[in-house]
Amino acid sequence: MAVVTLERLSKRYDGAGEPAVKEVSLSVADGEFMVLLGPSGCGKSSVLRMIAGLESISAGTVSIDGRVMNHVPAKDRDIAMVFQSYALYPHMTVRENLAFGLRRRSVATAEIDRRVQNVAGKLALTPFLGRKPHALSGGQRQRVALGRAIVRDPKVFLFDEPLSNLDAALRTTTRNELIKQQHELGTTTIYVTHDQIEAMTMGDRICIMNRGELVQIGSPLEVYRKPADTFVARFLGSPPMNLMEARLERSGDAFAVQTAGISIPVITIPPQRLAPYAGKPLIHGIRPEDLYEMPPNELAGRSVQLPARILAVEPLGAETLLVLATKASNEELIARIGRETALRSGSEVMISLDTGAIHLFDRDTGKAIAEPP
Amino acid sequence: MALWLDYLRRAPLVVFLLLYTVITGGPFLWVAAMALRTTPEILDNPYALPIPPHWDKFVEAWTTSRYEIYFFNSLIVVAGAVVLVTLIGAMAAHCLSRYRFRGNRLARMIILSGMILPPQLMILSLFQILLQFGLYNTLAGLTLAYVATQLAMTVYILEGFFAQLPQDLFDAARMDGYSDFEIFWRITLPIGLPAVFTTVVLNFIILWNEFLYAIVLITEDDKRTLPLGIMHFMGSHQLDVGMIATGLMISMSPIIVLYALFSETLIKGMTAGAVR
Repeated sequence: MAVVTLERLSKRYDGAGEPAVKEVSLSVADGEFMVLLGPSGCGKSSVLRMIAGLESISAGTVSIDGRVMNHVPAKDRDIAMVFQSYALYPHMTVRENLAFGLRRRSVATAEIDRRVQNVAGKLALTPFLGRKPHALSGGQRQRVALGRAIVRDPKVFLFDEPLSNLDAALRTTTRNELIKQQHELGTTTIYVTHDQIEAMTMGDRICIMNRGELVQIGSPLEVYRKPADTFVARFLGSPPMNLMEARLERSGDAFAVQTAGISIPVITIPPQRLAPYAGKPLIHGIRPEDLYEMPPNELAGRSVQLPARILAVEPLGAETLLVLATKASNEELIARIGRETALRSGSEVMISLDTGAIHLFDRDTGKAIAEPP
Repeated sequence: MALWLDYLRRAPLVVFLLLYTVITGGPFLWVAAMALRTTPEILDNPYALPIPPHWDKFVEAWTTSRYEIYFFNSLIVVAGAVVLVTLIGAMAAHCLSRYRFRGNRLARMIILSGMILPPQLMILSLFQILLQFGLYNTLAGLTLAYVATQLAMTVYILEGFFAQLPQDLFDAARMDGYSDFEIFWRITLPIGLPAVFTTVVLNFIILWNEFLYAIVLITEDDKRTLPLGIMHFMGSHQLDVGMIATGLMISMSPIIVLYALFSETLIKGMTAGAVR
């Protein structure tokens, strides 16, 4: 049970011009599952390694339960970590791998046996206790790595992309298994990944990083629905949010976005936030699922029609993706529509756009123009 | 394709291998044959087969020619040096491959430069140093000299192997609560065993046959090692060829046993870095 707090945490590697991590501050609540999400090289792994004590801290502090950990060696932080490569000791059996950390902590032999058996049972590893890692499948190795963390009953779990070496099917089942274990144990967890699906499904909260900086923290849906900037908007969601050049026009008290030859009334953002942008260019964003071939009834009166040409139709089974080019500005858009469609590539179409779902971003900073939090 | 063409294509290789085997194995077999023959027999016909074989020559060499003393001196010096050089070399290799510290490149360069220098270059200064420390003409002194000469190669082989072990393993052990030395002892050494083993065998073979340092740094007959002992048979007036051959065979036997038992592991360890 632990609260992990990072304050203005920074990391600069020797010889590197730019710091890898720039003043990241965040707090992970007791028992919370926090996901650090970002593209590779964004500094998320460096943050994790600084929390673990494997990497020195250039500036700022890492504290656990209020105690500053900057100079506490990794072994005394009571943290367990699962590595991307699993890092199982190749010369030891599964049993020895699980017991290795406990043995160092002078836990009684009987107690070690009990805990190893317990964890092995929980993770269905009992039949493999006598095997060495090279005689295990990828999924089994992953479970041993997880078991090695669980068996120590630490204050904090750290996961460094633990599922990225598994095939797609195994990844889904292991993901669910991991969530189940974390809920049962209630251990504070920090999980690094570049996979947005893992982030969305596993995290209580997601912390998105880009170029060493923390961009946004929030619950998965909050971050998805209200991206803080164009980076988050494009990074979360597959296919990503469509972004288009636009201009904000004012008529009386009402604002409308002029984009791709149409005018979209802005109904979700308060006028006082929009006023400074009146008459200026900005970026308009719309998620693929907020574009419709036929607007559903509940959208009546809230949709506008966007003329476009279909470049490609990509049926995915459960849904169909349309790759479109707007008629007026020839900007590429992706729409996610129902699985049954008669549309063919090359034809022209009027796509309906949900005006309640548009996002606006500052053209210079990329920051979202939205209601104040 | 016709079978004869296949044979023909392989013929140059077979010829080459045959020649190579004759050149390397021939002298060995010749000495082995002479080891079982008496000196008059050899002088009579140097290339004859050992019929009848004189096995008792081995007993004679061992008992009357002080071979047991030389043998055990060799064993003590070489085993001691190999144990020391393996431990020190493995620790140095672990540090050089795992830690980034100020001056690690310089340290590596200094250690590895030991491989470039010919042993003759160091013999004078080594002699002087051992003399000053009262280690001249002692088995301990020779052991230390051997450790110093073999350290560079040992570090070189081990560092290359250790550097390939994934860093995550070491991080995991640190998270599991192990200190730097324990990580070396419980992770690096056991996992690096094939490479460690290679250096043990290589060093053993090299030091077992070492002659130059042994002859310069040891003067007393009781402290001589095997390669010097063989010289013992080369009197100034006569040359006991038969006994020299027997002595050589005794001297070679540990190496042959070692190699026969572990040649596969040795080759695996030497190529481990190259192919992966």
